[in-house]
Amino acid sequence: MQPPRIPTALLRVLLPDAEQVEVLDDLAAEYRERASVSGAFRARVWYWRQVTASVPSLLSRTLWRGRTGFEPRASGMQTGGPAAEQWIMDARHAVRRLIRRPRYAILAILTLALGIGGSAAVFGIARAIFFAPLPYSAPESIGLFSAPFGWSMQEFAFLRGHVPGFSQVAQYRFTDATLELGDSPSQLVGYTAASSELFDVLGARPALGRTFESRDEAIGAEAVAVINYSLYEQLGGTPAVLGTRIRFNGAPTTVIGVMPRGFFFPRPTIRVWVPQQLDPENTTGNYALVGRAEPGMQIDRMAPQLARFGEMMRQRFTYTPQWDKTKGMWVKSIRDAIAEPMRPTLVAVMAAMAMILLIACVNVASLMLGQVEGRAAELAVRAALGASRMRLARQLVAESVVLGVVAGIAGAAIAKVGFNWLVSALPLGAFAETATFDWRVFSAAMVVALATALAISLVPTLSLWRGRLSGSLGATRTQGVAGRGVRLESFLVVAEVSVAVLMVAGAGLIVRSVQKLYEIDPGVRVEGVGVVNVVLPSDLTDMQRRIAFDQIVAGVRTIPGVQSAGMTQRLPLRGNAWTSGLTIEGKPEVARQSTTIRLVSPDYLKTMGIRVKAGRALQERDIAQSAADTAGGVVVINEAFAKKYFGSENPIGRRITSGFSDKMARIVGVVNDVTESDLTEAPQPTRYSPYTTWNVTMPGQSIVFRVNAGRDPVGSLEDARSVIRRISPRAAIQDATTMERILAIAVGPARQALTLMSLLTGLALLLGAIGIYGVMSHFVSRRKRDWGIRIALGLSPARVLGGVVGRGTSLVAMGIVIGLGAFAVLSKFLEALMYGVGRGDPYVLAAAIGGLLMVGVAASLIPAWRASGTDPAVVLREQ
Amino acid sequence: MSEDALLGTFEEQVMLAVVHAGADAFGMSVRREIESRTGRDVAIGAVYATLDRLEAKRLISSTRPRTGGASRRIFRITAVGSRALVATRAMRDGLWRGIDLARLA
Repeated sequence: MQPPRIPTALLRVLLPDAEQVEVLDDLAAEYRERASVSGAFRARVWYWRQVTASVPSLLSRTLWRGRTGFEPRASGMQTGGPAAEQWIMDARHAVRRLIRRPRYAILAILTLALGIGGSAAVFGIARAIFFAPLPYSAPESIGLFSAPFGWSMQEFAFLRGHVPGFSQVAQYRFTDATLELGDSPSQLVGYTAASSELFDVLGARPALGRTFESRDEAIGAEAVAVINYSLYEQLGGTPAVLGTRIRFNGAPTTVIGVMPRGFFFPRPTIRVWVPQQLDPENTTGNYALVGRAEPGMQIDRMAPQLARFGEMMRQRFTYTPQWDKTKGMWVKSIRDAIAEPMRPTLVAVMAAMAMILLIACVNVASLMLGQVEGRAAELAVRAALGASRMRLARQLVAESVVLGVVAGIAGAAIAKVGFNWLVSALPLGAFAETATFDWRVFSAAMVVALATALAISLVPTLSLWRGRLSGSLGATRTQGVAGRGVRLESFLVVAEVSVAVLMVAGAGLIVRSVQKLYEIDPGVRVEGVGVVNVVLPSDLTDMQRRIAFDQIVAGVRTIPGVQSAGMTQRLPLRGNAWTSGLTIEGKPEVARQSTTIRLVSPDYLKTMGIRVKAGRALQERDIAQSAADTAGGVVVINEAFAKKYFGSENPIGRRITSGFSDKMARIVGVVNDVTESDLTEAPQPTRYSPYTTWNVTMPGQSIVFRVNAGRDPVGSLEDARSVIRRISPRAAIQDATTMERILAIAVGPARQALTLMSLLTGLALLLGAIGIYGVMSHFVSRRKRDWGIRIALGLSPARVLGGVVGRGTSLVAMGIVIGLGAFAVLSKFLEALMYGVGRGDPYVLAAAIGGLLMVGVAASLIPAWRASGTDPAVVLREQ
Repeated sequence: MSEDALLGTFEEQVMLAVVHAGADAFGMSVRREIESRTGRDVAIGAVYATLDRLEAKRLISSTRPRTGGASRRIFRITAVGSRALVATRAMRDGLWRGIDLARLA
């Protein structure tokens, strides 16, 4: 009759081996006795009570034994066997050893802490960006529409509520506007103007107040705004914010609602949402659509519905072939639309994180290996006295666990600091609101630290297991050069360097790509250029609008600090340029082609910094001449146009259609190419015509102005606004931003990865340097005796220095070769983030090789210098 | 450890049980002695933990005789332990002296 099993097992864990048999046997004997006297049930109750009452005292005894190292005399020379107390003792031993070797301990802890802390900080950010659920209800049935051109208010008024397959569709556009808070200078904030159903489509509820209602979009309705959480906090963070007025986009605007922490749409940098006042007669506008699919519909299977939608639009509106927005229309789920552009960045950052951690591990492993080698004599003596390999291995594991715990705590501190820094340094927008450094990130860091520590201890344990301990007792006396573990240690350095090369080269590709993107001449000088988009009321006649815009441009020009001002109907770098048909006098073959057209005021070219390559720019008299509609006007073309249609001929003086009528215009100048949307696209042939060429004046125009060198154009945006308000009080200012911001958006997703990747690369280089330093300094100290003898025999210190540095460098060189091999294979995963650089870009490879070599040489210099200073007398006496 | 170190109540009980058990004082028999003499159910773990502490204070010692059958850790009271018991008893007696039990009850 056996006692119950569970309490027996519990006792087995808590008792040292030496006491297990007697205690369990005696308890079992008494259990049987009690069972026969008072029955099995009572015996069981007794047994259970015995064990449960014993647990606290046995646990505290284990801790006490571990702390004091108490071992009963009855155990003789043997220890009581494995219970937790052994681990506690080993841990204490490890702590004492680490305290005695502060340099090693600090190096190992710092390395692990940097690796763990760095990756935990990045993980905290990555979690907020990539893994946080989208702040919309049932996001899988929300679709973003994409069409070659945006939709006008008139089109939206028609399609509203009638898009097949969708229960609701909202229109929106997002851009920048100025916001004035208190006395601080006005700042640019991103905002979205949308139709009233936007928040219903997204299924998002405000944290405070309300969202839009249909009355908000009536013409002349009071200006209201829903703000995001960070702006709410900036405004005081109390519900009293509701109903207050902020000066937004130059007009007093009432705050009606606050969105919850982490809400964003469509970009995380958007901070304000305003209802778009809807004029169903307005044929302008450039709106995107977002819709919620009807129940049961799947966003990625809506081609038939889209075709019906296109048909519906074509029946109501007439689209010329090149303006047909119903062709090439598609719908993408909001998750794909938001997550897809981030994916390559995610992969790159995650891979970099893993590599950092790997480098840190290899570092510490090689440091520990060095320690085991240094302890060879001690370990051999222990083994000779009867310590089992298991026991010795356990000490190593205990040591790395202690390192892991301390590094985990230090790493958490580093992670916290790093995380806060990253949150403030990166343009996270709404993601910063939900990015929190909580216990989960902390415990993830701890788990990683411990797992890492255990993995690391495998390396020296393995080396211990494979070696002959007794043999090393003899070898260590003479500090043999060909000591065991040298190969493993060198292997670790090589491995570490190759991972570092992989990483530096990978990051190098991203840095170069971004650099190349910025290097692309967008054709305009963006610095110092402010942009204001103005929409005049649509009830004005074309002539009234033309006069108003003339006055606005002239007025902006007189703002103090403004050098020049111009106007166009559509800015470059933002895509959606207008194109129109083209004919060239004397070249009938180009008929029916279409190219980009841009209607500009004369100073537009000068303001944007577009250079005249041949002929002349547009002048004031061209405006009047075009308006007079006499013998046709003049036109300026860009180089791409000249190259495509005139080749080697001189285009100046040739006549082409301006694109708005059959009226011919004379080419008077050629200017440089300007990027239309994607920086990586080939330049588009473009015509610049005086804005008076077309007798229609679009109600929406972009006013651009250049400020004097050294001034910030943001500071003049308010002045520009008051000029516009004075001239046309009913004008709507949709957009107030700078060309620099427009360019930054055009550069795209690789830019986001840049900061994180350069940070991680710096960390990788630092860790690599620490690793090489650790191994080289161990290499040197183990050969102290050799150096001593050689120096005594007349070897010059310079050659000692050369020898050590040479060895370090050769290891690094080997690592570089292997790392480049791996890079050749793995770099294809980076292609999505690459632009304008090949995978074998010589600059990147040279930087990676040069950087690592430099780190290798620098890291071996200190130990080498120490070796060259070896005093033979001292060394030989010591040993 | 000073010679007149005094024992805690449970320590005193365990020490006395070791004395009572005589040559056969191992963990379980000590536990049974306490139980039979005090009528209290004592957990074996508490007994072992106290025995360890007493041994660390050198009030008892333990050996593991290798003579056939199950090898058990056998406890014996040391000279220091005897003096501690005597001192504890003396203190207790001193405290009780002159107290009229009949009036307390």
